[in-house]
Amino acid sequence: MRFGSAEAVSDVSFTLERGERFGIIGESGSGKTLTALAVTGLLPEGAVVGGSISIDGVPLPANEREMARLRGKRIGMVFQEPMTALNPLMRVTDQIEEAIILNRSDSAQLDVPYLLKEVGLEPRHGERFPHQLSGGQRQRVMIAMALASQPDILIADEPTSALDLITQKRVLDLIAEICMRRRMALLFISHDLKAVGVLCSRVAVMHRGRLVETGPAASVFSAPQQDYTRRLVAASRFDITREDHPLGGAPLLAVEQVVREYRQGGLWPWREKPLRAVDGVSFAIGEGECVALVGPSGCGKTTLAKIIVGLDSATSGQMQLGGVAYHGADLPQEMRRDISLVFQDPFGSFNPRLTIAQSLGEPLRLEAKLDLVERQRRLVEAIEAVGLRSEMLARYPHEFSGGQRQRLAIARALVTRPKLVVLDEPVSALDVSVRGEVLALLARLQAEFGLTYLIISHDIDMVRAVADRVLVMEAGRIVEEGRPETIFAEPQHRLTRELMAARLPDVA
Amino acid sequence: MRWSIRACGSAARHEFFKRHPNLVIGLVATMLFALLGLISLVWTPYPIAQIDIGRRFLGPMAAHWLGTDNLGRDMASLVMSGTLTSFVVAALAVAIGAGIGVPLGLAAAAWGRPVEWLVLRFSDFLFAFPAIIVAILVTALFGPGAINAVLAIGLFNIPVFARVAQGSALSIATLDFVATGRLAGLGPAAIAYRHLLPNIMSLIIVQGTIQLSLGILAEAGLSYVGLGTQPPATSLGLMLRDAQSMFLIHPPADAGAGAVHRADRDWSQYCRGWIARRHRSAAAAGECQCRCLRSKGSSCASAAPRRSAM
Repeated sequence: MRFGSAEAVSDVSFTLERGERFGIIGESGSGKTLTALAVTGLLPEGAVVGGSISIDGVPLPANEREMARLRGKRIGMVFQEPMTALNPLMRVTDQIEEAIILNRSDSAQLDVPYLLKEVGLEPRHGERFPHQLSGGQRQRVMIAMALASQPDILIADEPTSALDLITQKRVLDLIAEICMRRRMALLFISHDLKAVGVLCSRVAVMHRGRLVETGPAASVFSAPQQDYTRRLVAASRFDITREDHPLGGAPLLAVEQVVREYRQGGLWPWREKPLRAVDGVSFAIGEGECVALVGPSGCGKTTLAKIIVGLDSATSGQMQLGGVAYHGADLPQEMRRDISLVFQDPFGSFNPRLTIAQSLGEPLRLEAKLDLVERQRRLVEAIEAVGLRSEMLARYPHEFSGGQRQRLAIARALVTRPKLVVLDEPVSALDVSVRGEVLALLARLQAEFGLTYLIISHDIDMVRAVADRVLVMEAGRIVEEGRPETIFAEPQHRLTRELMAARLPDVA
Repeated sequence: MRWSIRACGSAARHEFFKRHPNLVIGLVATMLFALLGLISLVWTPYPIAQIDIGRRFLGPMAAHWLGTDNLGRDMASLVMSGTLTSFVVAALAVAIGAGIGVPLGLAAAAWGRPVEWLVLRFSDFLFAFPAIIVAILVTALFGPGAINAVLAIGLFNIPVFARVAQGSALSIATLDFVATGRLAGLGPAAIAYRHLLPNIMSLIIVQGTIQLSLGILAEAGLSYVGLGTQPPATSLGLMLRDAQSMFLIHPPADAGAGAVHRADRDWSQYCRGWIARRHRSAAAAGECQCRCLRSKGSSCASAAPRRSAM
C-alpha cells in the first residue's frame, strides 16, 4: 500500500503485510488520521489526493460505489469516540446485523451472537441501546461491526483514548487477540506511545504530515534515530516533577462524610432507589500538599470535585475550608476566591466570543475594590506565570493550541491567588509532548505560590510523578490511601491492583 | 458574515462579494424593496389617499406606471407605501418576538427547572391557538389596525424565539466555560448575558429573518381579512384584497401588488438561505459547540414556520 498526498500529508509511503500490526504515532495535527481516511477513501470534501494506494497490488477504485463495496469487504474501521460512531436509536444487535447484511460475501456468514461472543459481550448486551452500554462495551460493539465483513485490514483510530486505564487495557488485549486469530492486518493510529508499543510490531512516526521514522517497534523506541522521535519517547515517561515543598501544614480542606445522591427519573421518583455517586467520603488536605484522587470512570471523582469547588451540593455531610463549613453551592462568596478549578477539556473551557483578558478577568469579580490598573496587573502576572506573553491577552481562544489553552486555564485558576486548586484530568486531553511541560509548570507554580492541589485522574503514571498522597476511589467510596511509592509498590485493595496491572509498560 | 465584511479592506470586500453571488443577489433585491418603501416616506408619485373616480381602472401608462385602482389611486404609489407598511409591521413583530422571547428562553436555560417549566408551558399555550384566531380576538377587543396586527403577530413570535433560544442555550450551558463563570460568582442573569447570548446569536439572527418573511405573509393575511392595516393607509395584503374583488373585470390591478408581495418575501428568504448556509459551514469548520447548535437549530427552524404560518 503506497500513497502520497499534498499539503496536510506529504510523501507518506508504507506497506502493510498480511497479519502485520502497524502503528502510526503522531501528535494532533500531524496528519495521522488523514492518512487512515485516505486508505479508506473517506477523506473530507475538498481533499486532493496524489500518489496511489493499493491492496493486494490492485489500486483503490476511483468510483465511489466500488470503493464503498471494497471498504465494506476488505477494511474494518474503529473510531475514537464510540458514542458518536454508533446510531443511538438502534439496538446493538440490529447495528451489527446491518453491517453483516451490507457486506454479504461468498465466504461463510457470521452471525450476531458469534460476533458478540468474539468481542467478549454477552447476548443480553445486544438487546441494549448504545447509551445503555459503558464506553468499553461500546468500543467492543464497534469492533464487532468492523469484524462483520471479515476484513483483511482493521483500522483503529485512537480506539482507546476515550477510555479509562482498565478498559483501555482490555480493549487493547482484545484487538491484539482478534488480529492474531484472524490473521488480520492492523493499522493502529494513536498519540499514545505505550499503547502502540504494546500492540504493534512495526511503527511509523508522523510529524507535520511527514513520516519521520519507520521501523520495528522495539528498535524505534529503544534507539530512536530522529530528534523528534527521541523527544516523543522522552515525553512519554513522566519524570518526577515534584519540587521540594514543605509538607504537613495545617489542614486546608477537610471533607467529612460527604454523600451525593441523584434521584433516578421515572414516574414515581420516591419509589426508585436513589443513585449514590459519592458515598460517605472523608479526607483532609494539608496546606501545600498535592493530593491525587484516582479511580476508573464513573467512580464519582468528578462529582466530588464539583461539590468541593461549589458547583454542586452534597446531599449530606460537609466540607471545611480554612475552618469554615459549607456543603457545596453554599460556599460563601468571599471564600470562593480561595478555591479554583481547572477543567479537563481545554477547548470547552473558554467562551469563544470573549477575549482571553475577559475570560481570565472573570474570577476577579470575586475580589472587591480592584481598580483597572491593578486588575490589568493581575492579569499580566497570571499569564506570565504560566509562561505566556501579556500581549496574548487581547486574542481569542481559537488562536491558541490545546497546550496553550490549558496554560491559560491554569492562569485563570490562579488569577485570584487561590489557596486550593482542583485539577480535573489536567493533562489527559493534551499531546504527549506538552503534558510534561504542563506538569512541570504546575510543580513550579506550587513551589512559587505555595498552592495546594487536588488532582483528579485515572492516569497512574502521571499521579505517581506529581502527587504527595494518593486516594483511590471506587463506586463513590475511598478504598485506599497512601503515599504513591508505597501504594503502587504494594497495592492492598483489589481495584488498586487492577489499576496497576492495567498500566501499560514503558516504551524502550 | 458581519465581522468578515467589516474586517476586510475594500479590495478584499469586493473579493468577498464575488465569492458569494447569492448574497449579492439577495442583498440587492432586498435593498431595492427597502429603498422603495423608504422613499415613500418622503415622496410618492401621487398622494396615496387621493381618490379620483374618473381615472379609475387605468392601465399602465406614462402618468401612472402601474395604472390606477378601483378608486383611481395611483398603483405605483400604493405599492411603495404598502411595501413600507408590510416591512415595518413584520420588523416590529420580530422585534417584539425576539425582545421578549429570547430573554424568556435564556432565563429558562439559565435558571433551570421551575422557570424552564413555566416558559415552556407558556409557549406551548401560545402555540396551541392558531394565530389568526387570537388576531381576531385582539382586533375584536381593540379594533382593527396596523398596531394591533403588529401585536398579534409579535405575540406569536414570542414562543418561537423562546424555544429557539432555550434549546440552543441548553447545549451551551453544559460547557465548561459556563461552569467557570458560575465559579467566578456570576449569577444566572450574568451567565445568560455574557456566556449564553453571544454564542446563540447567529441562530437568533437566522430565526429572525425567517420570522420576518413569515411576518410579511401574516400581515398580508390579516389585512386581507380586514383585521390589519386600515384605509387610507395601505399594505400589500390590503391591496391584494381590493384588487382581487376586481380581478375578473380588471386583471392587471392584481398583478402589481401580488408580484411585489411575493418578491418581497422571496428575496428576504433568499438572503436568509445564505446566512443559514454560512452558519452551517462555519459550524462544520470547527467551533465545537456550533455542532450541537446546528442540529438544534434546524429542528427548531423546521418546526417554527409550520406553527406560526397562518
